[in-house]
Amino acid sequence: MPTLVRKSLGEYRRALIGWTVGLCAFLGMYISIYASMMNDPETFSKQAIAKYPGAFKDLMGGMSDIATGRGYLQAVAYQLLGPLLFTMCAAILGNRAIAGPEEAKTLELTLTLPIDRRRLLLERWAALALGLLAVALVTLAVATGASSAAHMEVPFGGILAAHTGLFLLVLFFGTLTLCVGAAFGRKQVALAVVGVWGVAGYIVETMGRSIDAISWLRWLSPVHYYLDGRPLYQGWPYGDYLVLLGATAVLLMTALLAFERRDVGV
Amino acid sequence: MTAVVETEGLTKFYGARRGLEDLTLEIRPGEVFGYLGPNGAGKTTTIRLLLDVIRPTSGRATVLGAGTRDPRVRARIGYLPGELALEGRERARNYLQFLADVRGGVSRGRIDELAERLDADLSVRMGELSKGNKQKVGLIQAFMHEPELLILDEPTSGLDPLVQQEFLAMVREARTAGHTILMSSHVLAEVEHVADRVGIVRAGRLVAVEDIAALRERAVRHVELHFDAPVPRESFDGLPGVRDVVVQGTSLRCTIDGRPDALIKAAARYTVVHMVSAEPDLEEIFLTYYSEEEGRHAHAGA
Repeated sequence: MPTLVRKSLGEYRRALIGWTVGLCAFLGMYISIYASMMNDPETFSKQAIAKYPGAFKDLMGGMSDIATGRGYLQAVAYQLLGPLLFTMCAAILGNRAIAGPEEAKTLELTLTLPIDRRRLLLERWAALALGLLAVALVTLAVATGASSAAHMEVPFGGILAAHTGLFLLVLFFGTLTLCVGAAFGRKQVALAVVGVWGVAGYIVETMGRSIDAISWLRWLSPVHYYLDGRPLYQGWPYGDYLVLLGATAVLLMTALLAFERRDVGV
Repeated sequence: MTAVVETEGLTKFYGARRGLEDLTLEIRPGEVFGYLGPNGAGKTTTIRLLLDVIRPTSGRATVLGAGTRDPRVRARIGYLPGELALEGRERARNYLQFLADVRGGVSRGRIDELAERLDADLSVRMGELSKGNKQKVGLIQAFMHEPELLILDEPTSGLDPLVQQEFLAMVREARTAGHTILMSSHVLAEVEHVADRVGIVRAGRLVAVEDIAALRERAVRHVELHFDAPVPRESFDGLPGVRDVVVQGTSLRCTIDGRPDALIKAAARYTVVHMVSAEPDLEEIFLTYYSEEEGRHAHAGA
């Protein structure tokens, strides 16, 4: 493994462990509630669900089949909270690549090493991607284990497809944070961009289903390419995932070009 | 011999603010070059340009025969940043090892040897290092790979006097080994004992480049002479290079520019019982440069 990737992973280690533990605890707890819910079918009966406002149900991805294993797993893990938490993790790590060290002024000495800037950025990104992949793999195992322990009867293929989408989504947002940080060198700017694009993208994707006026905006939402194909139900939405990957590649190229020509630490 | 550092019309503006303007400078192999100026004069800007941390607005610079954009050349440079930041839970020794690996390795025991000389504890986590110890770690990483060119930005800040002495010894050793050193400071006293030449930068412009020996020659000296009997003031009037003469009974105080020869010859006619000559104050001559330059600017502006 290249020195800088290893070094960056070492720097991310504590954060990675913390976020992995947190995400696993979240998934384990929420998924295990399913079993007790099944003992009390009243909670999520058709009549109970009908009482929720329509907009809320839209935001939560419909909730029409929340009493089934698949519907519940989608609603609690893959719809909102899972992506939200994992994206926060990706944004925090993405900021550790360039903007964080630059603000802390530790980047200056790294830049004066005999490494060109492109390689520095690529290796930092590789460490970010590997770190997120590690978190994704562990959480995939926990999601699979917990859902089978709760007798949700969701096939592994569906979980794997949904979890891959989740990984691609957070890789996109992590790369976005890194890219804005590489271009401007400010953590707050990067977090603001990710926050606005992420939240607006989520709202547009979920509410846009029933509001025509903003429906076309869904194409601009990264969340669209994660949610629209319903991978937990329908398996791999290859086209959507390729869009996420392609957008990530474009962001990475932008980061390389922006970082290459910028004054650092000014 | 080709210059180790060569700049031509090197200019850097931060937006409308001038960082450095039209710097043309040559640093020769094997010399210690003191780069002097008050804070904010453009010293750090110059250094960051040489290391490609920032990019020039115009002009060009070569370091060790290559353009500053060539990353390979940086393996042969040791750099101590002016604002050295070391953070995190990593231990200083591991960080140094990482830097050494990226630069292509250092000879065995070199890090420990330097740590011992500077009395630095490398088992401490970097975020917990004191300011002085951070500076020591910074010096170790700059010197450890025995680079051909050392670029040190305010190297002695935060060091106690004993460590400063050790640092100066390290600089001299590097020069003996044929390496070149560029060190910046805002006070001349910090570099005058090791530097061969000094460049003086002010408000983004290089004002003067001087040989330290020549500077010393021209330095201002305060001299006090005591005689066995009162001396007439007239004997000391109009001596070349002697000014501010004050005679009080048997003692005489004056300031000499450059050589003390005329004063000594004049005083030799009387019986001198005691003589005090302060160390040449290079700081003073250094400051004259500033005020002259300032005068010229004021004049040009009027």
